[in-house]
Amino acid sequence: MKLYVKSFSSYKSDIDKLDVKKELKQTYKQDTRRKDAFIHLAMLGIVKLKDKIDINPMDELYMTSGVGNIDILQRVDEYVNGQGQCIKPFDFINILGNTTSYYVAHAVGLKGKNIFQTSEYFTFIHSLISIYSSISTSKKEAILGSIDLSHEPKEILQRVLDVPTKYELLSSVNYQYLSLESSDALASLEFDIKIYSHDEIKTLLKNITCDVITSPRCINLELQKETYFFENLPSYLINKYIEDNSDLLYIDCFKNKYKILKLTSMKK
Amino acid sequence: MSQVNILKYEILSAQGDLSQTLSAIKNEDIKLSSKIASILDGDITVPYFLLENVKKKSPNDIYNLLKNIVSTVISDLDAEQRKSTALILGTCLPDLNMTSNIEANRENELPEYSSEKTSVDTYARKLCQEFALNDFSMTISTACTSSANAILEAQNFLKNNIFENVVVVGAEISLKMINDGFSSMKLLAQKKQKPFDKKRDGLILGEAIGAVLLGKGKSSFSLEGGFTNCDSINITSVSEDGSEYVDVMKTALQNANITTKDITALKAHATGTHTNDLSEINAISKLFSTNVVFTALKPYIGHTLGACGVVELCIFIKALEDGFIPKALNHSESILDDYSPLIEHKKCDSGIFMLNYFGFGGNNTSLIIKKEST
Repeated sequence: MKLYVKSFSSYKSDIDKLDVKKELKQTYKQDTRRKDAFIHLAMLGIVKLKDKIDINPMDELYMTSGVGNIDILQRVDEYVNGQGQCIKPFDFINILGNTTSYYVAHAVGLKGKNIFQTSEYFTFIHSLISIYSSISTSKKEAILGSIDLSHEPKEILQRVLDVPTKYELLSSVNYQYLSLESSDALASLEFDIKIYSHDEIKTLLKNITCDVITSPRCINLELQKETYFFENLPSYLINKYIEDNSDLLYIDCFKNKYKILKLTSMKK
Repeated sequence: MSQVNILKYEILSAQGDLSQTLSAIKNEDIKLSSKIASILDGDITVPYFLLENVKKKSPNDIYNLLKNIVSTVISDLDAEQRKSTALILGTCLPDLNMTSNIEANRENELPEYSSEKTSVDTYARKLCQEFALNDFSMTISTACTSSANAILEAQNFLKNNIFENVVVVGAEISLKMINDGFSSMKLLAQKKQKPFDKKRDGLILGEAIGAVLLGKGKSSFSLEGGFTNCDSINITSVSEDGSEYVDVMKTALQNANITTKDITALKAHATGTHTNDLSEINAISKLFSTNVVFTALKPYIGHTLGACGVVELCIFIKALEDGFIPKALNHSESILDDYSPLIEHKKCDSGIFMLNYFGFGGNNTSLIIKKEST
């Protein structure tokens, strides 16, 4: 399966030191009321994408996240279970996953298909498979937004991520504008439903000449890993490599089952 | 592109399994429980369609319920077929392991660190492992359209030959924050759910689990098409004239290459809330003539939120297999002249049908199914 990246936007909390809510209000004139940090982050990514490419109202929107909006769950737990108060209507609404994708769509006038989805592992690659499948039928173009919010205390996230505790947990939001058509594309992405064994990955790597980065979960592969983690790390990395006009092979892993994502830059 | 068929299906609702639920519908012998909801003025008792006599307290209990339903729908698949069978779950449930960690953190009782990933997709991923299905699992969270959208995603996978079969699961179990959330929005009915009725006063929540197996094998039921969009005037409502619903229904018909004249009957979303019902019946009246046959299933099992896409599909096709379309229970006087839902069960065993699902967050979904005459 192959998709072409026509445009992208990225935000990562250790590099982009900005007040997300203030940026949305002042630079992008977005209404930030009744929304929380997770939704603000998702909105920032889409308005940054709109700066770079025209978005058709009927483009399909897919949003994915590792653990979703953990902030809202903790806040509601604190005042409902901790203090015995009643849940507030807008907090209840914000707990629903698709509230985020609604506000993302609303921020840029999208009115088409809008799916908020999560896979336990390989969530970014699985979302690409969903998009490929969907736009092969609809003949439209699609936007994939991947959002992960770091959270304090980090001990909660560490208990649901299956990543060694030495990795710094960051917030990041990354979007790609995706198409089946190669014209004006910045890069192509190749992926599959195929699961590779450890031995198959070792064999595959013998013929790879581009950079290879693996997920921190690939503990049995002695290859380059980043020092930080968020579930949609591959979404950030492909944007970074497109920016650098470079190719990348990303390897993700779940208990010695591997999936690969191949980025080929088209602007070299 | 080849046809997508509905091969097997099963549910567990407050009325029992699918056969028991159909029997309850035919005999109008409806079991309804209640729960306590917390609102600003204090605690109130609200009606609730609950799964009774089953354990459902822990994530493990919920998983076991899902396992039973899924094992039924995949029982005819051999090992090779299972390898090419994906699983998609549609639900509003959060990751209950994460919520328990949040609670433990508040009480300074966080468990020891363990290298174990959990997410809203944990159930789906574990079901794939348990039954040796393909490793592709996905959980869709688009409020009340979650499992209906999962069905459309499955259809795309099958049409594009990415998988041979897809199991689509819908699941919703009572959670205090969901119950209290609907209470806080004053959307819950006092006693009965009365869709499209002048005296409607809200919805009744319901617990349910359902699963359908979609594939290309032989079946008298096929999925003809559908459409989903995200269009509304705010986070909880569409326009009173229902124009956003009209758009999604129209496009669903176009995608299935049919017109309104081809529709034998329509299963409405029909929550029984003031605004949703008004928008929906206005939308129906804009597209269909006054003799349109439409009904509502929520008065029998409650609003099962993310599960309703799969669960109401299963009930609807089981009723067609039995030769009838269920009436809209508790309906007396329609909110729109000349447009009334069925007030008696109607004989019917074949045709083309539209099933509508509309949710918070602007998500609107319309499915088109076909039943061959037997």
